[in-house]
Amino acid sequence: MGATQIIFWILSIVAVFSAIMVITRKNPVYSVLYLIITFFAISGHYVLMNAQFLAIVNIIVYAGAILVLFLFVLMLMNLNKESEPKKNKFMLWASAFAGGLLLYVLLAAVHTAHIENVKGIHVGNIGLVSELGKALFTTYVVPFEITSILFLSAMVGAVVIGKKD
Amino acid sequence: MNLIIISALSGVVMMFSGLFVKNNRTISYIATALIIFLSLATMCELGAKSWFNIPQAEAMLRTSVYGKLIGVILTIATTFYFVLSGKDIERVGKHVADYYALMFFVLAGAGILLSFQNLLMLFLGVEILTIPLFILTGAQKQNLKSNEASLKYFLMGAFSTGIMLMGIVLIYGAMGSFDLSVIGKKAQFATPIHGANLMGLLLLLASMAFKVSAAPFHFWTPDVYDGAPTVFTSFMATIVKVAAVVAFIRLFEGSMEPFHTSKWQILVSILIACTLLVGNITAVFQQSVKRMLAYSSISQAGYMLFAVFAFNAFGKEGITIYGLSYSLATIGIFSVLSKMQDITFDGFNGLARQYPGIAFALTVFVLSLAGIPLTGGFLGKFYMISAGAASNSSYTWLFILAILCAAVSVYYYFRIIQAMYFKERVSDTPVFEVPVSKAFPILLIVVAALIILIGINPQILLQYLYF
Repeated sequence: MGATQIIFWILSIVAVFSAIMVITRKNPVYSVLYLIITFFAISGHYVLMNAQFLAIVNIIVYAGAILVLFLFVLMLMNLNKESEPKKNKFMLWASAFAGGLLLYVLLAAVHTAHIENVKGIHVGNIGLVSELGKALFTTYVVPFEITSILFLSAMVGAVVIGKKD
Repeated sequence: MNLIIISALSGVVMMFSGLFVKNNRTISYIATALIIFLSLATMCELGAKSWFNIPQAEAMLRTSVYGKLIGVILTIATTFYFVLSGKDIERVGKHVADYYALMFFVLAGAGILLSFQNLLMLFLGVEILTIPLFILTGAQKQNLKSNEASLKYFLMGAFSTGIMLMGIVLIYGAMGSFDLSVIGKKAQFATPIHGANLMGLLLLLASMAFKVSAAPFHFWTPDVYDGAPTVFTSFMATIVKVAAVVAFIRLFEGSMEPFHTSKWQILVSILIACTLLVGNITAVFQQSVKRMLAYSSISQAGYMLFAVFAFNAFGKEGITIYGLSYSLATIGIFSVLSKMQDITFDGFNGLARQYPGIAFALTVFVLSLAGIPLTGGFLGKFYMISAGAASNSSYTWLFILAILCAAVSVYYYFRIIQAMYFKERVSDTPVFEVPVSKAFPILLIVVAALIILIGINPQILLQYLYF
């Protein structure tokens, strides 16, 4: 068992454990904190699969931005026992159904996957930052540049809306 | 390419001029100079190469003669808009330079929509077209109605963009490419049509129908157009709408071959019929001219959609004439409306006695919108309906409906003429909030003359299509 494999198992155990903790905690703040750990563990997996960019984006966007937003909302809402909404039987069934569908899709995907084509750890370079940069600055250079107009207009708009009159 | 690059740069220039120039009038002059330069630049591109040679852009943006001509029309309409409504833009709020900058960015988005060759660019173009509009809609920060309209537009726009992205993803999944020509080529051999592709096309159809405010996706239009500052309503209802219609045509033309069958025409004919009926019948009951024009813009979009129904050269010629005459007429009416105290029909009472020049020009605009012969609006409607008839003559009911709806529209458009010429002014309040300059009626009459010129001799415009 090489070093990468040991890391893989550790990351997997952390990910699964904290994912279970996410759905079993009573306090939603703990859930979110465990969710952050899950995302970090999954980012570690991405690094193992040579997808550095995905790993970084996963940490910045999910762990950094979205979950912090989650925490803010949870703390601002000030959840407690009294304000807890009544649990609806129908909602329970609906969520179970939706979750079951997702499970079905995932199982089907695994079932139909060609295992022999799956690359091992540290193989393939499609997820490397340099590959992404090459695509971004050759094939997709025009949309990349034009996105700057979009951001510029959004920034001007934010200033116009946000400034005090 | 000229349109996209120069308008984006003009937007940046306007941003900086807001920093260094404190006088609002000067800012308007700078914007007018830039837009005149921009329209000259787009004209130079007609029948010639772009000033900017970007080989990488070939796969993403492919400008046809048609797209270039529409670009010229959009910039000319914007020029008239800046000249006629510059003073009203200055009165909206404090960030005049930023409003101009945002409008230049919208033009850049329109330029992308006129020439996109890749679904990625479609998405970017639609976003660049709409995000500045959310802000312009909410530009009157003290006005609750403006805030509400902005928020409503933002939520609905974000939702429709989400639907568009979903459609693009499904098409990518089915076809394996974002490139329109690749998708078109693959779709030709894929019979029966791939399920995911079909679903994606339907989602794209819904989101594009939302962007051009075709019924039943029109519910945001009256509220947003009514709540937005009147000057910006004018911009949204004309230039933006024409660009969106052209993008609609470009998206489905050629590249979506399997859809060109009778099934496509059934869908679009239902869309057109709903749009015409909803737009015209609801406009009849409006008391506010602004709201009436919002509904009339829905019905005018219905006529423009005939080009999407037909996909032939006739339809393209029609959009060219329709786009210019509709934009100019609506910009003219809005430029008067945004100066007025009372924006109901009663506000127009007795206008002809005090301002005969303005009343005359308004009459021409209204006649053009209603589609009375000798005006550009008539020829536009004529071309659109005959394009539909040329592509599939079995849809007689649709063409009759379109003509009947044009007849209905005469009623609500002519109420403006009736108010101006045949009603006495009761109150003593002045017609306009601010005194109009001497040049304003002359400019309006120039615009009116242009509309009549297109109506008499459309070839001065159409000849450029065959350069």
